[in-house]
Amino acid sequence: MNVIFAVVFTAAAAFFLIRDPNGFLPAMLSGGEKAALLGLNLLAVYCVWLGFFGVMEKSGLAQKISRLFFPVAKKIFHTDDKDAVYLAACNLSANMLGLPGAPTPLGIRATERFLAHGNSRAADLLFVLNATSLQLLPTTVIALRIAENSASPADIVLPTLLSTLISTCAGVLLLSAAHRLRRKK
Amino acid sequence: MKYFALVVPALFLGLFIYAAVKKVKIYDSFTEGIKGALPLIASLFPYLAAILILSELFERSGLSSLVTAWLSPLFRTVGIPPEIAKLVLMKPFSGSGSTALLSEILHAYGADCYIGRCACCAYGSSETVFYISAVYFAGVKKKRVITPVLISLAANFLGVVCACLFCRIM
Repeated sequence: MNVIFAVVFTAAAAFFLIRDPNGFLPAMLSGGEKAALLGLNLLAVYCVWLGFFGVMEKSGLAQKISRLFFPVAKKIFHTDDKDAVYLAACNLSANMLGLPGAPTPLGIRATERFLAHGNSRAADLLFVLNATSLQLLPTTVIALRIAENSASPADIVLPTLLSTLISTCAGVLLLSAAHRLRRKK
Repeated sequence: MKYFALVVPALFLGLFIYAAVKKVKIYDSFTEGIKGALPLIASLFPYLAAILILSELFERSGLSSLVTAWLSPLFRTVGIPPEIAKLVLMKPFSGSGSTALLSEILHAYGADCYIGRCACCAYGSSETVFYISAVYFAGVKKKRVITPVLISLAANFLGVVCACLFCRIM
């Protein structure tokens, strides 16, 4: 990441120097502005969902869910940590339903727990599952299509589902291959 | 699609009724949960800001259109139409940026033609990989992160190629 940041940053700065020296600072500031806005938006979303999950934990529903997923998750993530399993299970289901903002706080906490126990494999797997997530209902896309007067707004659901299925499988296979390679070394 | 709107209210209603039956102090546990929101944002913010500043520079310096122009022959050989190349490149960096781009494409070409549908499926089948990695692996040694990020990018690209193919036959 340090290398990517340095390379892209220098290249962009050089471009600005040649083409449009006055545009450099405004571009950076607008990036910062976006970050501030996004931070506030995320804060609003996290308030709602973390409140929701707070009630879920206190009511005992969280423990029930983790008990339900535990046998499967134990195999997939190689972990005995019940809390992490619950967080990961909720994260993945929120992701598939496309609930905006709900998956991230859960995913972050699950990743932290996995890493705290030295289980980097599980953290990698959770990340890849998130980054190639299965899309049951791409709500944003459907809303945009309705806005553009599409005749059949939902006809992209099936191809999207199939291609995310392929990308998730490919991601998991590649990851397990990478881990096997690393263990051989 | 009307039924989907019911999911979120139903989730909340179901949970709150369940909690009430279990005699949970709903207000106390709701606020207890929210306590985590501010520290979470505080820990994410530096990474978020750096990535967004970088992607803004990338976009406005003209680098992104240069890279798009470079890569579009490659994209064409795997079946991705050049009209949506920019969207495919944008998605890993910025969710909001690619949403804006998608709506521009839909507006320019129409939602029901091949380009429009292809753009929709390409958008839906790839994720904001760099954003997710910045947030999930905040503070983790960067060297370790490279493998899962590269794998996710490759898998996403495959997803987009498949999406374009499926749009052609379905």
